[in-house]
Amino acid sequence: MARIQPQRSAWHFDPTTPVWIASAALLLVLILGPMYFLFQESFLLPKEQGGGWGLGNYIEAFTDPLYRAPIVWTLIISVSTSALSLVIGSIMAWAVARTDAPFPGLIRIGVLASFVTPPFLGATAWVFLAGPRQGWLNLLYRLITGAGEDSYLFNIFSMTGVVFAMVLYIYPLVFIVVNAGLNNISSEIEDAANIAGAGTLRTMATITLPLVMPALFAGLILAFLEAMILFGTPAFLAIPARQHVMTTQIRAFMQSQEYLVGLAAAYSLPMLLAAVWLLWVRRKALGRRGYATIGGKGGQRRPQRLGLYRWVLFGFCLVPLTCSIVLPYFALIAASLMKTQGYGLVRSNLTLENYRFVLQNDAVWPAIWNTLILATTTATAGALIASLIAYISQRRLVRGSQYLNFLATVPLAIPGIVLAVGLFAAYTHKPVILYGTLWIMLLAYLTKYLPVAYQTSNAALMSIHPELEESSRILGANRLTVFKDITIPLFKAALVASWILIFLPSLRELSSSVLLWTSDTKVITVVILHFYEEGRLEYVSVLGVLLMVLTMVIVALSYRIVGRDFMKA
Amino acid sequence: MKKLVSVSLYAALLAISAWAPAAAQSTLDLAKKEGKVVWYSSISLRVAQNICNLFNSKKLGVECVLHRDGSDKLFSRWRQEAKAGLHIADIIHTSEIGHFVNLQKEEALLKYRPSEADKIDPNFMDKGGFWAVVRASVYVPIYNTMRVKENEVPQSWVDFLDPKWKDGKLVHAHPAYSGFVSIGLAALVKQFGWEFFDKLAAQKPRIVQSAIDTTNFVVRGEALMSVGGTGYESFGAIKKGEPVKFIYPKEGIPFISSPQAILAKAPHPNAAKVFTDFTLTKEVQQIFANEGLYVGHPEVSYPKGLTPLKDLKLMVVPAEEAVKMNKPVEDNFRRKFGV
Repeated sequence: MARIQPQRSAWHFDPTTPVWIASAALLLVLILGPMYFLFQESFLLPKEQGGGWGLGNYIEAFTDPLYRAPIVWTLIISVSTSALSLVIGSIMAWAVARTDAPFPGLIRIGVLASFVTPPFLGATAWVFLAGPRQGWLNLLYRLITGAGEDSYLFNIFSMTGVVFAMVLYIYPLVFIVVNAGLNNISSEIEDAANIAGAGTLRTMATITLPLVMPALFAGLILAFLEAMILFGTPAFLAIPARQHVMTTQIRAFMQSQEYLVGLAAAYSLPMLLAAVWLLWVRRKALGRRGYATIGGKGGQRRPQRLGLYRWVLFGFCLVPLTCSIVLPYFALIAASLMKTQGYGLVRSNLTLENYRFVLQNDAVWPAIWNTLILATTTATAGALIASLIAYISQRRLVRGSQYLNFLATVPLAIPGIVLAVGLFAAYTHKPVILYGTLWIMLLAYLTKYLPVAYQTSNAALMSIHPELEESSRILGANRLTVFKDITIPLFKAALVASWILIFLPSLRELSSSVLLWTSDTKVITVVILHFYEEGRLEYVSVLGVLLMVLTMVIVALSYRIVGRDFMKA
Repeated sequence: MKKLVSVSLYAALLAISAWAPAAAQSTLDLAKKEGKVVWYSSISLRVAQNICNLFNSKKLGVECVLHRDGSDKLFSRWRQEAKAGLHIADIIHTSEIGHFVNLQKEEALLKYRPSEADKIDPNFMDKGGFWAVVRASVYVPIYNTMRVKENEVPQSWVDFLDPKWKDGKLVHAHPAYSGFVSIGLAALVKQFGWEFFDKLAAQKPRIVQSAIDTTNFVVRGEALMSVGGTGYESFGAIKKGEPVKFIYPKEGIPFISSPQAILAKAPHPNAAKVFTDFTLTKEVQQIFANEGLYVGHPEVSYPKGLTPLKDLKLMVVPAEEAVKMNKPVEDNFRRKFGV
């Protein structure tokens, strides 16, 4: 396929250009601001090394042998997690979007439910389930096999356990992105292959797969970066497995008495490099090929018939869902109903008192309210900005647009705890001090989640052929009108996907919120963490269940308002 | 003449009565003008809110504003703010003596002798006058009563090294994530030397992040015993009816203090003084005691089931020493325990 490149006329000044420039500028400020302060921090030396500026932090971070193993382990975990997430997420997305697998709605809801679960909550639940000594699954195993108290089937406190627990809450990311991508492929091409004699598998391998490559890559990159910067799961599961990863190491730096922020910032450098490398790899792999399948010639989406195999596929899809929602939420609900944690699931130990306490607690409702406001505002602003930026980048409307691609992905490579330091510094300058308001948290969430929406929009845009827009321009419309009347309608699924991809993670954001909240701007995850730190696992479980119920209510409402497209995306 | 004497006497009395309380009232008056006190505290939210609400109910004209977070996060929060030139906190209260030693070195604390200082046990007051230990606890192991028989319970710290407790039966928190644990370990190393430390590592206990995690693990039976956790958090679990009990090794248990100090750049210093006095009154100290914490006020009564401080053998690590030992403990933990 020929390279698609819209012509940029040197003579004609498009009056809507300022819009694009403004959007690009906004992105620059949003992302470069915190990055700059972080960068600056990494060059500031602690008092022990004499203060002032220097490379001391970088030298210590990468020459001390103690700090090398976490880097290696982070790499291993990220590669495994992203590979597994890619496989699981893509197969499930394909099952739902392109085949006649049964109950696609159920699968979608299940994936969304996994997506909205804070990973640390999932990890806590899995400790209840698969702790080697007292995990319920192991107790069941002992009951069935009659094995002794020291034997177990599952040990969540292992690197395998870490990868397992991570995949469960990262595969939804891949699902959503690939699903949006698959929805943009019209069936005609697959039909053509079938007519020419290719069977289902062959069609899938030679036609569908290449066309969905941009989405697959976007999903892989997102999964990799997410796995790399996750803190909660490794903190709960890797430390008992006696291995630091980079994020837990960073947290140890920041918790030290000397408050080693500079070292933490410097230590994050490999993550940034990993992001750069991944983007470069993607550009090489996807290169100059065209992926546009939505052309001006109409299109239709028809599911592939799988016969009896549809049930096998459905069974396959049920496994991740069972592991990410059914089992953990069973554990959480059980824990939320217990008077004491030590006596387990016995009749005399059950109570509704925990629910009563939480629902009447002063901190809970304002926190829920703050969470909802933040998530909605961030998602709306973010989806819009992400689409604009992706559009600018894809259609090369401003000089240097390709760098936007990198910029828009960079925040994904910075662990939340480190990013928050940059955000704090960036938005706490006189006379405008956003600290203590919801605004700083809005900016934090935007900076964190814009890249995710951007990746989706980018992948989706790759599949929309510019010829549709060009025809419109030939007829006299300016770029903004084109964007509004042509691109957006075609792009709707991706727009909605972007909204979801920002809204849902915002509900469960913790690592930045934990450094930026004040008593008026608490969000629900902070409240959950505080209960956890006080050892009140039953309240943690109640809030986990409530968060899930709340999210499902919101998803149901959105389904009503936005229509079928919401669930299709 | 008589009239002159009585009038001048009256005038003199008036002058004296006006002057004496005026000297004492000036702090409270200034505090009223400041209007509020911002309290950064690491005691559990429920307790902190209780105390704040109690203060507000006294209607002194000063409002208590609370920011509660874990010790380390509180400290980094304050650092961040100070770096950005924001001075919001008036009083800082954490469970890590190290914070206060460092803050004092940086001249970030205000020297203040609280009004109740004479009553308070001198062990609970900083000799230099920069902080007061409003509450304290102990680094004490617990065991799960459903899984450990009473005759198996260790009587000495050395009993924890018995091979029968190997491989995940014990749980231990990480000193890098918990100042409490760091000081507890420092005390044990001081008492038994680094070989104890090495042998404990060889037991391969389950490692968790912070002290509360050790309590949770033992409560649920995921570990049989902890090698030390926060006394008052474990007390909370016992009060709740969880199947755990304290272990009091015969060599004693480390004493961990939770200091509180007024910041030098506090925006409401007088309000801070008034509040500091408040936290050392019998009323508030009793609130701490009810949680299973130990306080310096002599008139407080402790809840049933909590062994009084005087009946406990304590291991005390002086503040400066605790701070110096922090890095060696963390580094050796890393090397010996593996994470």
